[in-house]
Amino acid sequence: MISPLALARRAAPMFACIGLLAVWQIASLALKNDSFPTAIEAIRAIPDILGDKESLINILASLRRMAIGFGIAVLVSIPLGLLMGRSRAVAAFFNPLLMVIYPVPKAALMPIIMLWLGVGDITKTLVIFLGVSLPVIYHSFEGAKAVEEKMLWSGAAMGLSLLQRLIRIVLPAALPEILTGCRTGLVLALITMITSEMIARQSGAGNILFNALDMGQYDTVYAMIIIVGAMGICLDAIFERVRARLVRWSEPQFDMPLSFS
Amino acid sequence: MKVVPSRSSEWVRPVTPKKPASAIIEIDGVSQVFQTSARKDHLALSDISLTIEEGAFVSILGPSGCGKSTLLYIVGGFVSPTSGAAKMKGQAITGPGPDRGPVFQEFALFPWKTVLGNVMYGPRQQGVRAAEAEAQSRALIEMVGLKGYENFYPKELSGGMKQRVALARTLAYHPEVLLMDEPFGALDAHTRTRLQNDLLNIWERDRKTVLFVTHSVDEAVFLSDKVVMMSKSPGRIREVIDIDLPRPRRRNELLLDPRYQKYVVDIERMFDEVDETGSVS
Ligand SMILES: Nc1ncnc2c1ncn2[C@@H]1O[C@H](COP(=O)(O)OP(=O)(O)OP(=O)(O)O)[C@@H](O)[C@H]1O
Ligand SMILES: [Mg+2]
Repeated sequence: MISPLALARRAAPMFACIGLLAVWQIASLALKNDSFPTAIEAIRAIPDILGDKESLINILASLRRMAIGFGIAVLVSIPLGLLMGRSRAVAAFFNPLLMVIYPVPKAALMPIIMLWLGVGDITKTLVIFLGVSLPVIYHSFEGAKAVEEKMLWSGAAMGLSLLQRLIRIVLPAALPEILTGCRTGLVLALITMITSEMIARQSGAGNILFNALDMGQYDTVYAMIIIVGAMGICLDAIFERVRARLVRWSEPQFDMPLSFS
Repeated sequence: MKVVPSRSSEWVRPVTPKKPASAIIEIDGVSQVFQTSARKDHLALSDISLTIEEGAFVSILGPSGCGKSTLLYIVGGFVSPTSGAAKMKGQAITGPGPDRGPVFQEFALFPWKTVLGNVMYGPRQQGVRAAEAEAQSRALIEMVGLKGYENFYPKELSGGMKQRVALARTLAYHPEVLLMDEPFGALDAHTRTRLQNDLLNIWERDRKTVLFVTHSVDEAVFLSDKVVMMSKSPGRIREVIDIDLPRPRRRNELLLDPRYQKYVVDIERMFDEVDETGSVS
């Protein structure tokens, strides 16, 4: 049985979307500006883009770079973050480096990377990798640091070696925090993906968007924004499902009461 | 089983000098200094020597901050003492091991594992086959009174239930020595009594050596063969009291037993003294 409240909660994102599109439609009709198509015009342009083979290849290439960048970032960052969280020496070694990289917009590094590695896939994937790494490292680090010492002692008493404790106690114990970092990382992957294609214009979803802008095809521009946005929302929703399933054991049992009346 | 030799048998048996053959844990001149943030070194334990016999139930009693937990961690091998040494069966303790099973006051259950998963963890780590480990663990879970909760996660359990799981999880890998740090400290009086009885039943069945830290005088007297009274700043052993009460012990009988009452009154008085004067006297 689904209660009306739960139903409303589930339908809420859809209402939000419809509301946003409605505001857009009205604003566009009111402003009557050539570079600001109505929501309906933009939505009509979507099938054209998705029906075009070239565009589709471009979008898939973007997604592939994003997946590779995100995947490698996660595979490197989680172990690094966990090690930093459990070893003061490792943290002392990497912290200064990360502190320097952290506030630098990763896209700002692109010109340099392009000089070294060209404008191809490697450069863009590397930028995505950099964008994803930091939040994942940070959250893995915080998660590992917070692992209750007595839990590790219990494991040690059972005969788990240092490495086993890291993989079989620190990793699962820190998983909720790690996945929070990954979720942030996923959105950042999408952002850096588009930004990188904006700078190294060659292929990809970002390239379609900016080519259309150059050519004054504003409905295509807006359609691409919708497509990229929808991709982000879908990826995030899928990730959130997986996350919720993996850390069901840690979710709070009760909602925080917003009022006691 | 611990046999208290009668006077006559003492004459017959050759007296082993110094350490008795049955000593399982020997703590020898252990001191622990902590570097505190207030830049002064803090002497938490000062020259502690204690021998624990195999199969004995020994309680450590003392005011808060006297170093009871620290002493337990040293025996567990989780903390290495600043000076002195602890030995298990003649071997110096250099780290944790499955021969010494801790039960922490904070439970320290694995929250991502169910009750069954927690209890099976130790045996599985020791290489027991899954089916066998599961059967043993289910039996243990039943023994601590949690049948029906096998698939619950720790967050779904009450404090007393978590404590039972923690005990079952440690018993599951058959440590020779149980190290229990105020395991019932956070529980309500009723649950506490029940768990004390359960623990005594379990202990009287297989007579593991138990080192049991507690704040509570009646708990210490009710459970123990020996009560180690500690004093504070620095942490020292004030007195070791043998509790000469018959076993198996039944709570309702014991509470009426004048010998039990005398132990409690005497030790409580000693506790008060220790609390007031510390080790300075
Ligand atoms: N890691 C540490 N760093 C610095 N000081 C510590 C540390 N652990 C314990 N101490 C100090 O050592 C002393 C003994 O601590 P311990 O936890 O062993 O006491 P306790 O007898 O178990 O107390 P309680 O009954 O309150 O649990 C305390 O004064 C405490 O401040
Ligand atoms: Mg303590």
